Amino acid sequence: MFSLIFRGLATGSIYSLTAVGIVLILSTTNVMNFAQGDAGMFLTYIAFIFIVRGLNPALALPIVILVGLILGFVVDRGLMSKAKKSSHLGMVMITLALTMILEGLAATLFGNIPLLFPPLIQGDPIKIGSVILDRQDFLSITAALLIFAVLFVILYRTKIGIAARSIAEDEYGAKILGIPLNKINTFIWAISFGLAGIAGMMTAPRLSLEPTFMIVIQLKAFIAAVLGGMGSVMGAIFGGLILGVLENIIAYYIPSIKDSFSLILVVTVLLFFPSGIFGKREVRRA
Amino acid sequence: MLKIEDLHVAYGPVEVLHGINIDFHESRIVTVLGSNGAGKSTLLKTISGILKPKMGVILFEGVSINALDPSKIASLGVVHIPEGRHIFPNLTVKENLLLGGYFRNTKENKETLDFVLKLFPILKDRLEQKGGTLSGGEQQMLAIGRGLMGKPKLLLLDEPSLGLAPKVTSEIFKVIRHLAQEEGVLVLLVEQNARKALDIADEGYVLVLGRCVLNGNSKELKENEEVKKLYLGGKNV
Repeated sequence: MFSLIFRGLATGSIYSLTAVGIVLILSTTNVMNFAQGDAGMFLTYIAFIFIVRGLNPALALPIVILVGLILGFVVDRGLMSKAKKSSHLGMVMITLALTMILEGLAATLFGNIPLLFPPLIQGDPIKIGSVILDRQDFLSITAALLIFAVLFVILYRTKIGIAARSIAEDEYGAKILGIPLNKINTFIWAISFGLAGIAGMMTAPRLSLEPTFMIVIQLKAFIAAVLGGMGSVMGAIFGGLILGVLENIIAYYIPSIKDSFSLILVVTVLLFFPSGIFGKREVRRA
Repeated sequence: MLKIEDLHVAYGPVEVLHGINIDFHESRIVTVLGSNGAGKSTLLKTISGILKPKMGVILFEGVSINALDPSKIASLGVVHIPEGRHIFPNLTVKENLLLGGYFRNTKENKETLDFVLKLFPILKDRLEQKGGTLSGGEQQMLAIGRGLMGKPKLLLLDEPSLGLAPKVTSEIFKVIRHLAQEEGVLVLLVEQNARKALDIADEGYVLVLGRCVLNGNSKELKENEEVKKLYLGGKNV
């Protein structure tokens, strides 16, 4: 049972990483980013280029984060900020287009054949009594926790992070204060794409590297975000972890509903908590 | 300091301000009167850069600011405190205040924060509380305090008394007067409570349907029969 939960947490941490990226972008720019997963896919291919040339997979991680930040910066400056002037729906459509472009590009450059991606850390599974813990799973959970800690420091302790939260609350209020919305939107896109890269790197060793390998993760991350209340970073984190754990337990005991489980879960939760588990119950006096 | 010449502003094809001229001359507090839809808020939004004028010039300290971004204008010292306050309900009072000083460095912000908390001591006890849990009057104080964190040279105040009890309104007006007289802040005040506004203002402009129909020092305006009838509620009040 413990290893089931552990394995579920590892999967869940990947859902969380992706969901947090989606929620960050959604809450500050109001754009539903359908390309979060595929951005991670593409970034993982970039890591793969380095790894085939002999780079240690673990060292490819900082490279991926860096390239992710740059890619996010370029996407916002080059596409989103331009589209913002014309139409909001256009921005959402661009993220959909991005999924196709990235998948197409990956297929053209690297081919459609699934590639074996090495685990980021080598070594035998850790044994504690009868429980066997995979090192890669261990890494996923630790990395996610570490990254969330950094993220919270940014969002709650730095000027730019607090400003990002203010935009999520009241964009007009932030604009009128003179907070530079464009800069902060770019910052958020960059961070989210950085997160996408990490999620991709954590996923690839457990599946295989192919142009569509992040689609399932993207879907699950959406569900995690909805569970968490769509718009709360904390909610997205817990939504992802809860989904990962429950899914893994269900897959073990009732394998027949393994695939539909996440959808059953989201419907059930929304039935009782219409705004998600961590949905905003606003404290506000009129 | 602030000089507006022949300002035209339009929402799409509909022009709402048809050539406004405002000059602060020697005044510290200037108020803009007018009924709903006269274009008062539009005027403030245009000065702070949220709206772009169709025609005309806005000069602040001799520099034309009408083509600049709101963030650039704010960093020059033009702070807009919007109607409806727009504080951030789920951010703490302290975070709300610090965002007002987005362009200032940490040391400056610390000093300004002390100054703001001296003006509104009530906020001091609530620094870690979420903005949304404050009462209406406290929220308005937070909105003004947040604006002051940007060290304004010119404060654009849109309906600061909206929805507030008379006692709280008086308190806030006292602070506005203090800011103008002691701290040297210029105030452009849009206010539905015309009597109170004229009481503290040096000069007033009356807008009707996007045109400035009357301008003068507030004493003159208070005696003006038109103004009495339309904005001060008749002579028997």
